[in-house]
Amino acid sequence: MTVKEGDGLPDEEQEKEKRASLGGDLIIPVSGSIFALYYFTTIWNSPWTAQVSAFFIGAVLIFLSTIITIRIVRAVRAGEAHLNFDHLLAPIDFMGKRIALMALTIAYILGVQWGGFTITTFIFLSLAMLLLNSGKNKKLIFILSLTMALGGWALFIWAFETRFPSGPFENMMKGIL
Amino acid sequence: MEFDPAIFLALFEEALGYWWVILPAIFLGLIVGAIPGFSAANTIIILLPLAISLPVEIGFVFMIALYASSRMGAGIPAILVNIPGTAGAAATPLDGYPMTQQGRGQQALAISFVSSALGGLLTTILALLAMPWLAEVAFHLHSVEMIVIMLFGVSLIATIAAEDTLKGLIAGFFGLMIGSIGADHVYETPRGTMGFLELYDGVPLIPALVGLFAISEAFSVIDRDSILTERGKVAMRDSGWGPTIEGMQLALSRWWHIIWTSIIGLVIGVIPGAGAAIASFVAYQQSRTYSKMPELYGTGHLEGLIAPESANNGVTSGTLVPLLVIGIPGGATAAIMLVVLQYHGVTMGTELFMEKPELAYLPFTTMAVTYFLMLFTIMPLARYMSRVTVVRTVYMAPLVISFTLVGAFVPREYQFDMLLALIFGVIGYIARKTDYHVAAILIGIILGPLLEGFFIRVMKMHQGDVSALFSSTLGNVLWVCLVANLALPYFMKRRRSKKAAKA
Repeated sequence: MTVKEGDGLPDEEQEKEKRASLGGDLIIPVSGSIFALYYFTTIWNSPWTAQVSAFFIGAVLIFLSTIITIRIVRAVRAGEAHLNFDHLLAPIDFMGKRIALMALTIAYILGVQWGGFTITTFIFLSLAMLLLNSGKNKKLIFILSLTMALGGWALFIWAFETRFPSGPFENMMKGIL
Repeated sequence: MEFDPAIFLALFEEALGYWWVILPAIFLGLIVGAIPGFSAANTIIILLPLAISLPVEIGFVFMIALYASSRMGAGIPAILVNIPGTAGAAATPLDGYPMTQQGRGQQALAISFVSSALGGLLTTILALLAMPWLAEVAFHLHSVEMIVIMLFGVSLIATIAAEDTLKGLIAGFFGLMIGSIGADHVYETPRGTMGFLELYDGVPLIPALVGLFAISEAFSVIDRDSILTERGKVAMRDSGWGPTIEGMQLALSRWWHIIWTSIIGLVIGVIPGAGAAIASFVAYQQSRTYSKMPELYGTGHLEGLIAPESANNGVTSGTLVPLLVIGIPGGATAAIMLVVLQYHGVTMGTELFMEKPELAYLPFTTMAVTYFLMLFTIMPLARYMSRVTVVRTVYMAPLVISFTLVGAFVPREYQFDMLLALIFGVIGYIARKTDYHVAAILIGIILGPLLEGFFIRVMKMHQGDVSALFSSTLGNVLWVCLVANLALPYFMKRRRSKKAAKA
């Protein structure tokens, strides 16, 4: 006998499992409609050339968003779906790592203009890989992060002279080379 | 500009003699094309002192080889890690990435290389032979015709929306709304910029591309050990040279598909202001419309990969036609080439063909030689490049995030663009998880502002008279083609269902 998903759960919970999680489906239409309304306020007193396409696109977006909202609300009322965000956050036990990676990414963006590309990239890569790999393979992660950060500096900044964010390391190497 | 085989043969021979310039340019082009934020245009700007200091012929050969190879390079990360190197490769991951996930990355690369090289080679020869007539195309295609051509690309949103029409359309219109951000085309009135000066020129494409594809993908795959499916892992473990050969054979078996989709690229490339992004979306949409198996598109379908890759390489030679014949660059890279050539005192137009025909034809023969050499130099690398897909996501995701974010910084050097890429990453993540297609959002962002620009131009020229959209014969022919194109899949589907019912 094969074991199916949901086997062994009480009837009520099995029923809940079957219901679709549609809360996340509303994010794009709702935020799109809010943005469209905000956009309208910025062009209200503008010449027609600035208004014509935006009013058309925005109106269609709001219309379509209303239809999908009605569709979702009807599904919820019929007991076929619920308005949580499980589908968006799944797998839920990985959410902590995902949020931590997001925080690291924001820190990287904010820090790169002070620390420069090489140092900030090395720190970001090391921390992000350690986070995702649950602290395992520290030596490999250190070597990989260092190689990629230095390789990136050599290829983009030194060889191609691309204007990547500069910091102490880039300035020091500029002085040496 | 008459065709003389002996002269052309001599010109090809001359271009082949520049192999020592072409080969390094190929490898450089492949690298810069593959990195989001870099492009042939940026690289030529960086290497401008070198391009200017070289003799004009060598400088021209270097720029052309770099341009052609960067176009091919942009498809590599699009296929392997779902990150298009440029907007021109934005349609490539639609079928290229699913192939990679199935463990067919090596095969997909081989298909892409053959389609790109043959498409580029064929259109270069066509451009060389039909230059006077192609230059006429640029004269006849005005704003009205451009609106219809762009609508072919925009209608791809409806095609993508086939699975869930409502969600696909919402994604497309959401993209069009984002694409409307920025100052208007006539009075420079800021619209929807939320007060950010950085958005006055509109939403920059590279951060949008990086965010929607790379960042969102990186955040999506971290809960898995690999981007490959279980079958994909097995396929990758057992792969030797076979998938490369198989990919070449598969691409060659669709030679007709390569021909007609690359010609779409050539014609769109000839139009100044159009570009590889429009060409690849239009070619993909056309390919799907006329396919006998449209339902396979988006699942790793061979023709879904051939179409955008052939078309965006067809654009490359197309953009050179208006540059050389009328002195109007068809794109950013062609504009920089024009600057370099003008520095050397080269005057474009008929004068160039009369006084220096060897220089006028050199870019085309160089491009043909570049595509020919690329087939042999890059093909063996497919096997090794595809190994990148076996790297564990715990290492791959942080690398993708950091390098693509810096790639978003490069074009304008704004920290704001990195934050913008992250915001697009969040939008892309939500879109992926809730089945709103990121490609539909991107089509809106890329084509929306272009479409609006041409529409406003027509309206201004005709005092707001909408009937002007139907005022040209060529435009009306294109309108009929567009309507037929949109209706055709419906009728073909009905016909297939009837046949199936009879069987």
